Amino acid sequence: MLDNERPGGEGKKPRILVLDDEPIVVKRLKPAFEKAGYETETFTDSASALARFTQRPFDIVITDLKMEGMDGMAFLEKVKELSPDTGCVIITGFATLDTAKESFHKGAFDFVAKPFKLADILDVTKRLEEKMAGRHEEA
Amino acid sequence: MSALPNISNFLRMGRRKAPATPFAARFKTFKSILERNNLALTIMADMSDKLGGEYVFDRRYIEEACERLGDQVFKLISDLSILTPADQAELFAAFERIRQAIDDELSGKRDIPDAPWTMPLSGLTLDHGDAAGKKMAVLGEIRSVLGLNAPEGFVIPTAVCERFLEQNGLHEFIRSRFEGLDGSEAKALNEACREVRERVLDAPFPKEGAKEILRAAEALAKRPDGSHRGLALRSSAWEEDGESTFAGQYASVLNVPFAETVNAVKEVIAGAYAPEAWRYRRDRGFLERETAMAVGCQPMIDSVVSGAMYSYAPFAPEEEAVYVNAAWGLCAPVVDGRSEADAFILERRPPYALRSREIAIKTRMMTASPEKGVALVPAPESKRNAACLNQDQLSRLAEAALRIERYFKRPQDIEWTFDRKDRLIILQSRPLIFREERFSRPRAFDPAASDAEIIFSGKGSTAQRGVAIGRAHLVSRPEDLDDFPDGAILAARHTSPQFARIMGRAHGILTEAGSPAGHMAALAREYRLPSIVGCGPILHLIKEGEVITVDATQNTVYRGVVKELRRYELTEEAVYEDSYEYRLLRRLLGKIAPLGLADPNSPDFAPSFCRTYHDITRYIHERAVRELIRLSETRHGLLGAAAKRLECGVPLDLSVIDLDDEPCPSAKPNVMTKAEACSEPLAAFLEGVISSGMWEAQPVAVDMGSFMASVTRTFGTAPSGTEKIGRNLAVVSRQYMNLNLRLGYHFTLIDAYIGDNINDNALYFRFMGGVTGIMRRSRRARCIAKILDRLDFRVDVRGDMVLGRVKKFHKDRMLAKIRLLGALTAFTRQLDVKLRREAEVDEAAKDFFDKAANMMEERDAGQ
Repeated sequence: MLDNERPGGEGKKPRILVLDDEPIVVKRLKPAFEKAGYETETFTDSASALARFTQRPFDIVITDLKMEGMDGMAFLEKVKELSPDTGCVIITGFATLDTAKESFHKGAFDFVAKPFKLADILDVTKRLEEKMAGRHEEA
Repeated sequence: MSALPNISNFLRMGRRKAPATPFAARFKTFKSILERNNLALTIMADMSDKLGGEYVFDRRYIEEACERLGDQVFKLISDLSILTPADQAELFAAFERIRQAIDDELSGKRDIPDAPWTMPLSGLTLDHGDAAGKKMAVLGEIRSVLGLNAPEGFVIPTAVCERFLEQNGLHEFIRSRFEGLDGSEAKALNEACREVRERVLDAPFPKEGAKEILRAAEALAKRPDGSHRGLALRSSAWEEDGESTFAGQYASVLNVPFAETVNAVKEVIAGAYAPEAWRYRRDRGFLERETAMAVGCQPMIDSVVSGAMYSYAPFAPEEEAVYVNAAWGLCAPVVDGRSEADAFILERRPPYALRSREIAIKTRMMTASPEKGVALVPAPESKRNAACLNQDQLSRLAEAALRIERYFKRPQDIEWTFDRKDRLIILQSRPLIFREERFSRPRAFDPAASDAEIIFSGKGSTAQRGVAIGRAHLVSRPEDLDDFPDGAILAARHTSPQFARIMGRAHGILTEAGSPAGHMAALAREYRLPSIVGCGPILHLIKEGEVITVDATQNTVYRGVVKELRRYELTEEAVYEDSYEYRLLRRLLGKIAPLGLADPNSPDFAPSFCRTYHDITRYIHERAVRELIRLSETRHGLLGAAAKRLECGVPLDLSVIDLDDEPCPSAKPNVMTKAEACSEPLAAFLEGVISSGMWEAQPVAVDMGSFMASVTRTFGTAPSGTEKIGRNLAVVSRQYMNLNLRLGYHFTLIDAYIGDNINDNALYFRFMGGVTGIMRRSRRARCIAKILDRLDFRVDVRGDMVLGRVKKFHKDRMLAKIRLLGALTAFTRQLDVKLRREAEVDEAAKDFFDKAANMMEERDAGQ
């Protein structure tokens, strides 16, 4: 159970990128995702997150919306451009219907309002992972 | 959601000689107060909920919650100003004080809090870290929350040490001496340190402070026979014993005669500028401004044996153990390695069996010298080869170590001593930080891959995150708490605030029913006790006394010990309780949530005594209810609303004011019959009172004890209390009821709005007072709480007052609940007179449900 293999042995657990300008959020999410077996990298500014993503894309991106510099919506677009298969989850403290609509339109898998429970975000990620696995099988 | 007539044009605020505001207008304000009060309480509960660790929240959340709460509290005060003629200037002033304190906290500037010359150690908790330094604040918490022994004494706060440095211009001097030094030139650094130290020791201490410290030191040092014991002065800096432990970096001065205390304080302050301490801070990026120092002053303990221990030995990660180092005499040489020490390795579970030991030849020991200071002296021949701890002492040490570890959720490095009376005294505790290379940390934990049997998974809500391992102890009656084993996991059907009395000793809590927003959950968070509540039926799955592992991070419970989980938790890189946001929220809640104003009859129940937002909301709520009753009793107040006397066959003595534009028609102008009550909540309530058949016409025989208690009480309360007996009031509309009932000697308030929109539906029930002594009244309160809890109410019991809230149920279910409240009102009329024994609390609750069986909703009745 210490390795990153799935129980079935087929392929690695997805790699996750977490981006939020509040350090506390990434500090809480990193160990939670790692405990669940995901390889996790965290960033508190969108520029370095994007640089890292360009260098090596991630399977899943969890990003905040409101940030200095490039905001979450723009980051989401870039990610989808670079890697259309990457699953994205938006976490935000400014949840409005419009921003939710826009992020879904831009290809986000889900939209989670802050503050949220760790169990909830893990749940969303698990669903996303399942959906992605399904897509791979179809392909 | 207003069910009230459109009356806003009647609101004539600000005009002194305005015509009397119609009752309906005042009532609208009253309604607004109730709503705001509920909203404010919800925000407070949400905020406290976030401390449990299950939520990810950020600074923005904290700011926003404070903002929303402050807004509601402010508007509550404004509402009260409309409702009552009295001037609310004092209330606004109290609000302003609290808001300012919250803003200061939020501004993030870490300020040295204003403090007296000395602060007693007995009053300290973790929240005093800024004033008393981390080390002393931790000791305070260990003492007050965990109930372990720590030395008494006082602390000279950071503010005082700062004042001393400031007044002597030492800050500038220190800055100038250290400027440009990077530590590479040892000689220059040593020279600077020596100069700073000399300056500090030579500088005069503020006169008044010196006098005050001396006085406190003398009182502390004085023995009953008039002689004086020596004192120990210990550093307690802001970040000491936090993420960076500063272990051994700052100075302690031991066995100081009380008359020399002030000089010793200066010694400790100067210790912050020793070369090692300066390097340590620089290496960790501490700014000069971040080094505020406080100094603890404690009596020297007549130590027989002392030492240090690790609650979780870092040497052998594959074998969890407690590691103890010990030597005769005082603690210092064990810690700094100046003398030989015994080593013991113990199991981490009761009875903490000794796994191995290594007894050193202890030729020397440290003792207090006769005059002052300490010295290493030859150890007595007989003691040199003897083990310096027995199994009983070792067990007590391990037990204390694990209790502290559990609370701080980090392995601990603890300094301790046993005195002549064989009492274990904790001298210091700090987190033990693991190095990765030494301690390979598992990268993930997959419950499915574990060999351990899962008892249940994915049930309930986390009240406090964490991992707990221990024996299960099933609690079904309060007596079951009496023999609660140390380190056990409490498993119970319901949450109960009564569990507080064993929370210091428990490892974890599991309950079948209960909410993470309840009272018990808040207490569990205070004790940082991993807890899962509302798991549904689980008790039949767990055997009394069996060892279980509770993972309150994934809501999973295993049979047996799952070591990996504990190891995972203890080695987590960041403990969320150490995060700035957690500490900020906790400090803010200290200014928001504690309720100081408990007794409305106390003279302290006044605006000037409001210390928190909760105090203010409580005060306003109470004042508003009283005002409404006062209004209802004066013809003046009733202007514009016609009251009708209710005739329903039961002597409720109720007047009803109907606020609807077209009040219900009635046959007689001043009388309303049960059939004519077209307010749905009122009709449901009356049906409950009458058709439940629980109204006992015959008074229950009052035994002598309770009669005497009632006599004392009648004379003891304010005269206004008795005048109102027999005057009950309901203000209603079709979908709304506000009912104030005084029956016998107790007081019931029901506020209900029940309509078709499920989100507007809310029911609030409050019950207090009673004819008998506090014991029976609180039994009755517990009985009512039990009943309400089963009816899905969120219940809060404070002494003999019970608050129950339920909302957002469908209309039919809400009305069913009101019917049951009617039945309950009838049932509890004389309940406290009956509850002679504790066991009768459960019996009475059962009796109620038996009698009300035909009124219960299917789901409730099926339980």
